[in-house]
Amino acid sequence: MSVGASTRTPRLRFDGVWKSYPRWTPGARTLRAVVSRRLPLLVRAQEELWALRDVSFELAAGEAVGLVGRNGAGKSTALRLASGIGRPTRGRALVPENTASVLSLGDLFDFDLSGRENAVTAALAAGLRRREALARLDDILAFAEIEGFEEAPLRTYSDGMRLRLAFGVVAQLEPDLLLLDEVIAVGDLGFQQRCMDRIGELRAGGTAVLFASHSLEQVVDECDRAVWMERGVARAQGPVEEVVALYRTAMNDETRLRTPAPDDDDAPLEGLELGRNRFGSQEAVIRDVTLRGRDDVPTDEIAVGGGLTVALTVDPLAGALDGPLVGVTVTRVADELTCYDTSTDGEGIALGRVGEPLEVRLSFQDLGLLPGEYWVDVGVYAADWEYGYDYHWRAYRFRVTGSGHDNGVFRPAHRWELVR
Amino acid sequence: MSASATPSPPAVEAAPPRAEEPTLRDAHRRPLSPAMLWEVVTHLARRELDSMHHLTLFGWAWPLVRQLAQLGVLVFIFTQVFHTKVEHFGVFVFTALIAWTWFSAGIGNAAQSVSAARHLVFQSRVPSAAIPLVAVVVPLVDVLIALPVLLAMIALSAGLRWELLLCPLLIPVQLLLMAGIAWLVSAAAVFFRDVPNVVYLSLTLLFYMTPTFYSVDVIPSKYRWIYDLNPLSVIIESYRALLLGTPGPSAGLLVYVGLLSVAVAGGGYAFFRRLESRFPDFQ
Repeated sequence: MSVGASTRTPRLRFDGVWKSYPRWTPGARTLRAVVSRRLPLLVRAQEELWALRDVSFELAAGEAVGLVGRNGAGKSTALRLASGIGRPTRGRALVPENTASVLSLGDLFDFDLSGRENAVTAALAAGLRRREALARLDDILAFAEIEGFEEAPLRTYSDGMRLRLAFGVVAQLEPDLLLLDEVIAVGDLGFQQRCMDRIGELRAGGTAVLFASHSLEQVVDECDRAVWMERGVARAQGPVEEVVALYRTAMNDETRLRTPAPDDDDAPLEGLELGRNRFGSQEAVIRDVTLRGRDDVPTDEIAVGGGLTVALTVDPLAGALDGPLVGVTVTRVADELTCYDTSTDGEGIALGRVGEPLEVRLSFQDLGLLPGEYWVDVGVYAADWEYGYDYHWRAYRFRVTGSGHDNGVFRPAHRWELVR
Repeated sequence: MSASATPSPPAVEAAPPRAEEPTLRDAHRRPLSPAMLWEVVTHLARRELDSMHHLTLFGWAWPLVRQLAQLGVLVFIFTQVFHTKVEHFGVFVFTALIAWTWFSAGIGNAAQSVSAARHLVFQSRVPSAAIPLVAVVVPLVDVLIALPVLLAMIALSAGLRWELLLCPLLIPVQLLLMAGIAWLVSAAAVFFRDVPNVVYLSLTLLFYMTPTFYSVDVIPSKYRWIYDLNPLSVIIESYRALLLGTPGPSAGLLVYVGLLSVAVAGGGYAFFRRLESRFPDFQ
């Protein structure tokens, strides 16, 4: 619970919310199917599948809360119920009268009609009155940066333009509660920044924001608190750093749990041994990891101030992977200090669907590390950081050479000047 | 929410916290006011018409062409093949045909309107009740397009009568009746995908059981009650009485149809609103 918000009305309250979807939903819903399938299910009504189980949380005015958790944990169900899409099976989902939700606003667009016309539709759907929508139309189009294309049919727009148009509508609202899907992770960085600035303004004015994102980094950056959903239960909630740390730990445990026992017959390959320096479910593997220096030549030694490329191949083995994530960490051998840690997820690089082996390269023009010995750890993870497919830990070592009597971790490019 | 239309939002530090504390409501109870419903219906209807006629060469002429083609066939068969004795048969059929086409197109489109509009049902601020209304309102535009043609045809054959000015009183009655049926069938169709089939079959049968190309006067009196119960039959006979001066339905029947339309609209609306919050689970 947030401190200091007790005197004000919450901007969202989930009060012991349970949600189950009708089990006969998928497939044809004809009278025949109802008779043959629904009646037996009514008899066995006990074994319901719960998408949410007894979920309670509140948002105070001005607060941003992120929902984290793997796919199917109940994040989207929670957002949907807060948006008034469906009703809780038990419990109550309470929101202010003036709630804006940006779930699939772009689905409304008619590709034969103009951007201007589609903006009005999206504005009406977002809760603006027609008069307000028309009054703010120019602002919407300006925010979306599509001036000059207002009258062109939407099918001539790029995906980015369509999404900017949808968010341009949202930027004109002043809701008490804003519900956000993944949508902000679109468009160029400048546009994302303006979206975030606008959300900051709204929060300063008292708008609470509930946010579901696959990107933990984004949640940490943008939210005060987080709710970790797992199998429909709010497993933890509290300050965002703590909750995300808990979630990451659980993800690591899950990776360990899924690491198969080493097979005695297998000789360690490339110095990798399951359970010692290699973890993960091995549904997909990383192979051909090389460190390359100048001229793209494999090496285990670079000069201080030199470049480094980490190249690896993600091999999906049997089945295609849906949106896997790749992470790379550089650690100093001497004191196990994490010098640099990055991931495709954190930097908004989408691998998409990986059906064939995919080579991934991470290049540093100037690594910027001081002379010394370093490890490079590499990992490929299931979407949402659910668990690791393959993680090579302390398996690749390299040295930065050079003389110099400076200390610390980094050696940023620099020069001395004497100005008398 | 302050509805100020200032183009540039205030800077972060300058934004004063909005003073009024919002009251909370159940999220699935979507706010709905008649004004909002009206705006959404007119906007979506206009949008659908734009989209429909956008890329066609004949555009707005198409609905009229369709109705005139059907009229031509009916007139040919009943004047040349069956030698009907009805006076001014062309306008006699066209009057009924316009009302019937509105009804059947409206209800036919409404049947699948909600179950096919996942993108609208999943928008929390769009009142779902607007969706079947759009299906009913869009073919009303076809009526308005056909009307001048009908009036011209009447002027050339039977002659215009001042009573035709009363026709606008009948349109709301038919609109209410259609809206009620549209709410009923569209909501039911979300849960049972058989419903549209039942609707299409019923419309086919109803076309023959409604006096479009004949008059109720020719119906044997022992079956007459079926036609008196059919509100569309009463409405069509009333249009004809006003436009062509044929004997119209009794005052009792008119009161019955008026009350029935209000009841169907009210019942259909209540039914729809009751089920509305469950739609997303079935789409």
